[in-house]
Amino acid sequence: MDHHSIYISLLANTVKAGTILLFPTIGEIFAERAGILNLGVEGMMLIGAFIGFIVAYTTKDPYLGFFAGTIAGGIASLIHAFISITLRGSQIVSGLALTIFGGGFTTFYGQKWINMTLNNTLPTVKLPILSKIPYIGPIFFSQDLIVYLSYITVLVMWFILYKTTMGLNLRAVGENAKAANAMGISVYRVRYMWTFFGGLLAGAGGAYLTTSYAPFWLDGITAGRGWIAIALVIFAMWDPLKALFGAYLFGGINALQFQLQASGTTIPSAILNMLPYIGTFIVITISSIIVKTRHVRPPKELGIPYIREEK
Amino acid sequence: MLYFEKRQSVPQYFKVIIPIISLLIGLIIGAIAVAIVGINPLDVYGGILSNAFGSWYAFSETLVAATPLILITAGLIVVFRMNVWNIGAYGQYIMGAIFSSYFALFASHGLSKPAMLVVMVISSMIGGAIWALIPTFLKIFWEVNEVITTLLLNYIALYILKFLMYGPWKNPESYGFPLSKTFPQTAILPVLFKGTRLTVGIIFALITVLIVWFLIKKSKFGYEVRVIGDNPLAAKYAGISVNRNIIIGMAISGALAGLAGMTEVSGIVHYLQVKIGADYGYTAIIVAWISYLDPLVTILASILFGGLASGGYSLQITMRVSYGIVGLIESITLFSLVGAQIFLNYKLRWKNGSS
Repeated sequence: MDHHSIYISLLANTVKAGTILLFPTIGEIFAERAGILNLGVEGMMLIGAFIGFIVAYTTKDPYLGFFAGTIAGGIASLIHAFISITLRGSQIVSGLALTIFGGGFTTFYGQKWINMTLNNTLPTVKLPILSKIPYIGPIFFSQDLIVYLSYITVLVMWFILYKTTMGLNLRAVGENAKAANAMGISVYRVRYMWTFFGGLLAGAGGAYLTTSYAPFWLDGITAGRGWIAIALVIFAMWDPLKALFGAYLFGGINALQFQLQASGTTIPSAILNMLPYIGTFIVITISSIIVKTRHVRPPKELGIPYIREEK
Repeated sequence: MLYFEKRQSVPQYFKVIIPIISLLIGLIIGAIAVAIVGINPLDVYGGILSNAFGSWYAFSETLVAATPLILITAGLIVVFRMNVWNIGAYGQYIMGAIFSSYFALFASHGLSKPAMLVVMVISSMIGGAIWALIPTFLKIFWEVNEVITTLLLNYIALYILKFLMYGPWKNPESYGFPLSKTFPQTAILPVLFKGTRLTVGIIFALITVLIVWFLIKKSKFGYEVRVIGDNPLAAKYAGISVNRNIIIGMAISGALAGLAGMTEVSGIVHYLQVKIGADYGYTAIIVAWISYLDPLVTILASILFGGLASGGYSLQITMRVSYGIVGLIESITLFSLVGAQIFLNYKLRWKNGSS
């Protein structure tokens, strides 16, 4: 029985840690589907984590914190959108700049917040009936509201992508912007919208980290999770449902690492902390091989600026 | 409404004024960021300026920071010119430091100083090159995106370093601090000017830039790199081996980042520790872009950004202004540079009515 509860709590933590990655991965999938590669996920997550933390700390409302962090991520993404869509700049360099910006911004303003701890974290809300299901209940339905929001996000976004005109337009823009424009779709508007959406979700991932999983402030607290999310987009082959598995796989590595550390393992902590990055490295290599052999491919015009011809 | 019109020719002076304006925008937004928290931006910039260029010692510290920047950037521009994105200079720098430290810590007996230093230089370059070639081969064989893999290898290298520093390589007399034993005298780079920390590393860096300049501008390799950068498909049809050039470029890039790591541990720190150097690996990306990938210009840009790093670092100690301000200024400068790229190809025009 005792062992039992350890596994259950490990898996429940897997879902929590996975949620941090799930939001940004979904967001980046949609930005990339629209043709915009945003390598600034790490920076947007950091900004979301920081704004989320300070708002939750000062208002004592973790939901408000989560919301503020989400918006902050969205605002940060607009810099990238402006440079890569309107000014047609290199998306790779602009995204890197956004990551450096997020680091600089949060280091500079976060100085006096370091090591502060949030007391009001997102509360657990057990769902009636569902939380009573053996195994599934305590793992998936005894979480906080934001985790449930992430389930809904995955389903809704999957539906939007494959079953609606909006999703059709989005895919058209990422595959062939010129043809999409000829069909009367505003390429710029679609790209701005989904880049902003990607920013919102990156912010959400960061804010979820500091209002739930790690409720304190440390410099660089996201610790590369933004890059793991970008790798997960390839693992998920640009599909929101598959993103769920990828995010939980890495959530699991995170949760396991935490559990091992707490149980006083003899494995050096540096090796444990290295695991997610080694895991990501292996996963992105294998996914890339699969993408190559199975001819699944990224959105055709990913990273290519669109220039509307003047008549 | 405003719109962009294609330019027929690019005025050459644009490549001078765009970087200058970009840096100015970075500084202005940095000033606003500082003013928001109630600090006088003039004090901050005055502080950075005097801590970076105010005295001979301050300037020597700027050159200390510029040394690894010059080395890393010189390598980056070779691969950036082929549109290959090595974001892993930080990890390659750490591997260079680890590889050369191994000889300094465990294999120094019986070697004279020159021999020891040569061994350290070569081993650091091998360490950095290995770390750069892993993602390169993955890219070539399976099209694994090198931006992500080189970046992940930064974290992996950092944790290898942490593992060594908290574990097998830890100095038993360091009172729990994660650092190695101090290097023997034979493993320490000679200082150029008494009273400064400026070592012969800066000479390595300058020679390296000249070699890279020659490679890019005068050699067949440089010609092929240019063709690949313009159009990889055309390069292939012209009989140029794209993969071979990418491998060579990445090996050079990794080796130089590794060498930068060696100049830092052997020249500045004199032991291995978890935190070696500032964010040189990332700053070098900005230096490369602001120089428009021109090797000679990188020297000037490295001194400028080395000064920003060194001045910003001193400011953190003297004025308690967070070092984050440097990252802020750097990123805004980079945003402006990428954003302004469009003016090299287009003119901004005004047209009446909407379209």
